[in-house]
Amino acid sequence: MQSTVLLAHGGGGAQTRDLIAQVFQNHLANPEFTQDDAAILKLGQEHIAFSTDGFIVQPYFFPGGDIGKLSICGTVNDLSCMGAQPKWLTCAFVLEEGLPLKDLDTIVASMAATAKEVGVNIVAGDTKVASKGQVDRIFITTSGIGQIITPNPPAGSLAQNNDAIIVTGDIGRHGAAILLAREQFGLEAEITSDCAPLWHLVRKLYAAQIDIHVIRDATRGGVGTVLYEIAAQSNVGIHIQQKAIPIEPQVQGICRILGLDPLYLACEGRLVLFVPQDKAQDTVELLQKEAHGQNAAIIGYVDAKQKAGTVVVETEIGAVTVLPQPTGELLPRIC
Amino acid sequence: MFNDTELAHTTIEDARTIITTYTGKPLRIMEVCGTHTHEIFRLGIRQLLPPKITLISGPGCPVCVTPVSYIDQALWLGLEQRAIICTFGDLIRVPGTTMSLGDARKEGLELRLVYSPLDAIQIAKENPTREVVFLSIGFETTVPGECLAVQEAKAEGLANFSLLLANKTMPEAYLALKNSADAFLFPGHVCAITGTQDCRALTKLGISGVVAGFTAQELMTALAAILILSRQDKPFFMNCYPRVVADCGNVAAQKLIQSILAPCDSEWRGLGVIPKSGLKLREEFQDFDAQRRFHIPHLESHANAACRCGDVLQGKCLPKDCKVFGKACTPTHPIGACMVSSEGTCAAYYQYGGM
Amino acid sequence: MCVGLSAKVVKLDKGMALIDTQGVQRQVSAQLLTDLEPGDYVMVHAGIAIAKIQSSDTEEAHTVLTALTNKDN
Repeated sequence: MQSTVLLAHGGGGAQTRDLIAQVFQNHLANPEFTQDDAAILKLGQEHIAFSTDGFIVQPYFFPGGDIGKLSICGTVNDLSCMGAQPKWLTCAFVLEEGLPLKDLDTIVASMAATAKEVGVNIVAGDTKVASKGQVDRIFITTSGIGQIITPNPPAGSLAQNNDAIIVTGDIGRHGAAILLAREQFGLEAEITSDCAPLWHLVRKLYAAQIDIHVIRDATRGGVGTVLYEIAAQSNVGIHIQQKAIPIEPQVQGICRILGLDPLYLACEGRLVLFVPQDKAQDTVELLQKEAHGQNAAIIGYVDAKQKAGTVVVETEIGAVTVLPQPTGELLPRIC
Repeated sequence: MFNDTELAHTTIEDARTIITTYTGKPLRIMEVCGTHTHEIFRLGIRQLLPPKITLISGPGCPVCVTPVSYIDQALWLGLEQRAIICTFGDLIRVPGTTMSLGDARKEGLELRLVYSPLDAIQIAKENPTREVVFLSIGFETTVPGECLAVQEAKAEGLANFSLLLANKTMPEAYLALKNSADAFLFPGHVCAITGTQDCRALTKLGISGVVAGFTAQELMTALAAILILSRQDKPFFMNCYPRVVADCGNVAAQKLIQSILAPCDSEWRGLGVIPKSGLKLREEFQDFDAQRRFHIPHLESHANAACRCGDVLQGKCLPKDCKVFGKACTPTHPIGACMVSSEGTCAAYYQYGGM
Repeated sequence: MCVGLSAKVVKLDKGMALIDTQGVQRQVSAQLLTDLEPGDYVMVHAGIAIAKIQSSDTEEAHTVLTALTNKDN
């Protein structure tokens, strides 16, 4: 084990999993401790989903959203991934001395607007102020409780052979928008974050009786990381087609310039769904009619021919090769 | 640009047929350039090759050939001299003797990732009270940008900017690798600067190869070209990337390099010192040489003895033949430089499951 | 070693070129190329335009393969 926490531990990939296993699971393991985005708990006759998520983002205002909207979307989407209707949220703020009150006001207004869009109430909160330099301006943690609306809730372990794999929109926009907003590499483009609450998509699919096996929101680590997580949790092989993955040209452009793979850029408003093959087309058509679902596409399937735990890509020349896993921090490859 | 999907499909199919139906003598083809290695793996080209063709990944990833001592010097500049260190991305994960540049951030090293050497100039201007050092690595393709940075720094009288040089040039490396392969995929973007004379002249020494571009079509075409040209029993050369590589190269870039830099001996990680394979600043630009400016002391540098990156870079062994490969040495905890960059041979083999 | 980016020149000013690839723009140095005009395509490496691009990879691959197979026959 490393002697200190590294940035790569927060990347969402293999090192994040190691940290969870070696520290958190090691001390906190119990029968209800979950590997999914939210725990499913029994309360009387009801099943509820319970989730929590912390948010740091630099800069805290970015095209398409801000840390406030992000903090609501994150927990709402985590609950949605369990087939749970978000009911109540709480939030905790850690604020740095010197943060403009005007900015805080904008951020909280944006939280309120997003919560309203979902139809969820923020019912409790907490505020701490840290002295200058102790934190980077504003950290938000939200927790949420949702009510499970399906008798067969989805889970990361339930992917089955031949399931179709669907993304609910073009990928990598949040990661690309943040890269641009940091003005680090001198790039100019008009990319807005995909940051969005997605409960309405899940509700719609359940209303249409789609038997969804897995729902996962692709956040840090992107869609590629989700695919590897599901391959491992469900013990299956996954086959995706490069050409089928929806990617906005400008996001593709950023990736070409910096030598990055869009499959590993963060999203904040994209779900990865595993559904039975015969429902795949219906699912995509339903999604495409909804806000934040217009670019939904089938990108691959669970492939019994592939080794369990692996993800392969059919490339543009028709060869099938392993999708490389990211190794911690995403670094531009230039020379 | 000039999009012609149908023709693109046909040319890929034509090249694929030439490659998959190859029945000639066994061939070892070395792709010298790390970006070639990366693209060949990404596209899955290896899966299409008949068993008679072996692709060997050469030493053309600048991150991979950068010696441990260089990382140690950069660490010393950043930690002891408190200089702002500007660098391209991958280099920050290469292990030095005690740590990598990325690790050193938690010790207070101020590290800036840049897209261009010219960005480092900007950082120097914005931080006039700090020393700013650009880690100048890379081959002929990258060198002109580094020269432009020096030129600009001199023109503007920037007193807080310098380069730590570890640039490499290819011609001597081809000779050093002469017996490692039957034919080379020459690095297209190096040739865009240098022109094709050096590579063409290698045929006189019995070394064959073609200049290759980087897209799926260009790589497939270049491989097909090698297979066809190998049928003649004499050394061959062909420029398969003429849309970017002129025979004379980029003359303005060549002149710029010559005016600022001069050849010197250079240490390649794993390969040792190759005479005249590096570059140093000419006398009138010495102010911009971090080595001189900071009087970097001799540092005791040690690479991990178990690591066989050197043999891997020369095609003498495969990554799996190295004892630490995939065990102690993984992309998350690299021991050797070849495991660091996604252009590195070991990283590519690890990521693609040894294919 | 040398990741290259093919991009279209949008604007030229004082040795710098504004280039565009799939809607993403950046200023790069154009000092190493002469006779550039807006609309030209260039190969960019680490913020420097290193070569003017003469044709598409498809045209090039087609020409190279045709030359080889003709020689061959």
